[in-house]
Amino acid sequence: MIGTAQMFKIAGILCVLAGCVGWGANRIGEEHRRIEHLREMLCIIRRIQDEIGYGKHTLPEICLILAECCGPLYRVHFRQIYGQMNQENGVALDQIWARQIEQCQKDAPLSDEEKDILRNLPQNLGMQEEKLQARSVGRYEELLVRNCRKTEEAYENKAKMIFSVSVLTGVFLTILLL
Amino acid sequence: MFPEQMRGRWNVVADSADSLQEIRMRVGRPATVLIAGKEWFVGADGGLVDMPPRTTKSTPEELESVLKHLCQYSLYAFADEIRQGFLTIQGGHRIGLAGQVVLEDDNKVRNIKYIRYLNIRIAHEIKGVSDVLLSRLYNDKGLFYNTLLISPPGCGKTTMLRDLVRNVSDGNAYGKGMNVSVVDERSEIAGSYLGVAQNDVGIRTDVLDGCPKREGMMMLIRSMAPQVLAVDELGSDEDVQALQMASGCGCKLIATVHGNSLDDIRHKNYMRNVISSRLFERYLVLTRKNGRCEVEGCYDRDGSDV
Repeated sequence: MIGTAQMFKIAGILCVLAGCVGWGANRIGEEHRRIEHLREMLCIIRRIQDEIGYGKHTLPEICLILAECCGPLYRVHFRQIYGQMNQENGVALDQIWARQIEQCQKDAPLSDEEKDILRNLPQNLGMQEEKLQARSVGRYEELLVRNCRKTEEAYENKAKMIFSVSVLTGVFLTILLL
Repeated sequence: MFPEQMRGRWNVVADSADSLQEIRMRVGRPATVLIAGKEWFVGADGGLVDMPPRTTKSTPEELESVLKHLCQYSLYAFADEIRQGFLTIQGGHRIGLAGQVVLEDDNKVRNIKYIRYLNIRIAHEIKGVSDVLLSRLYNDKGLFYNTLLISPPGCGKTTMLRDLVRNVSDGNAYGKGMNVSVVDERSEIAGSYLGVAQNDVGIRTDVLDGCPKREGMMMLIRSMAPQVLAVDELGSDEDVQALQMASGCGCKLIATVHGNSLDDIRHKNYMRNVISSRLFERYLVLTRKNGRCEVEGCYDRDGSDV
């Protein structure tokens, strides 16, 4: 027969193990979200590039297009940028853009460098020729592709490692507690 | 029209928006505005003064930020227009540019760099401005005459054209509403934004925005079957040929051309043919008198007063 004290011990062990595994799963999920974010940013940058190079749309128009076609996270913010630009209160686009993108990426599991890619994009959109402009956006695309590929390649190993570490941490804590 | 940091200085000018015709900015010179035909200088505090102020001069940075703002921070989208020396922004306002021209190998303009002179011409939509002329532009059976508007720059040629288009499209006391197609090469007539006309150009009007006149006229005839075709600023043999072709297809025409009088346009090479072929049945001549724009005369194809 298992005594009450032993039951509590087992329950405690399970809780510790579950907590550690949960922490690990959360970390893995964060990595997954990061990849999704990077992919979405890549789609946005590519769309901007296409709309500049082919459609010759202005940036507020591009924001409206993005508000229609990109994921729910960014959609609202692109609509906000378009709306605020249409208010014609004289605020510069790069300020509105930076504010909205910052808000959008506030809780995103991205590095500061990655966040800067999209946030600072309009600062480099002052070229007078569409192909040149599209090409300059292309540099951001390259950077994102590189980051995205690196993160995706590392994801599987990282996920395994995080999972193992979380389980081992759980086991180690259990041994300590026992 | 101006970025946030410059707005304070332009508040007084903005108060006169209804009669504001033109804003000119030149690097190293004070900004000038044309309000109801009178030129004013913009002072340091934004007040309007008669004499050029000594202290307030536009800086290159100011001009660049105004231009950027006008282009919605998307200069690339206006590359073709900048090459031509002007661009049209939302609302149909035309921005003239001057600076240093960069040429291609074949001497064509590739770009304008160091844009240091801006001329912002404010478009005004004045509904009803053409009402008094309508009786002279329709025959007894309610058929619209091919009409050519002749006017020097800044006399309301486009404003008159826009209102004529609206009147012909909606219908009026002299004729039924007709399907009108507008080739709005410089987005000044309809002032389209995202393809939608921002000015009232009538309920039966189709607008082809940003398209060269020649191609635009042919496209519209093929696709929209217009009863009336309207174009602004004829300026070349190609424009005139396309217009003649459109007339041959059975369309009625409304067009504008730069000039001071009927005689004046007779001396333009590309217009000579049009006049001699008696393509237009009515000539409306606009002029400026005492700072006011008015209709100098309406003439038939023989040049007689109507």
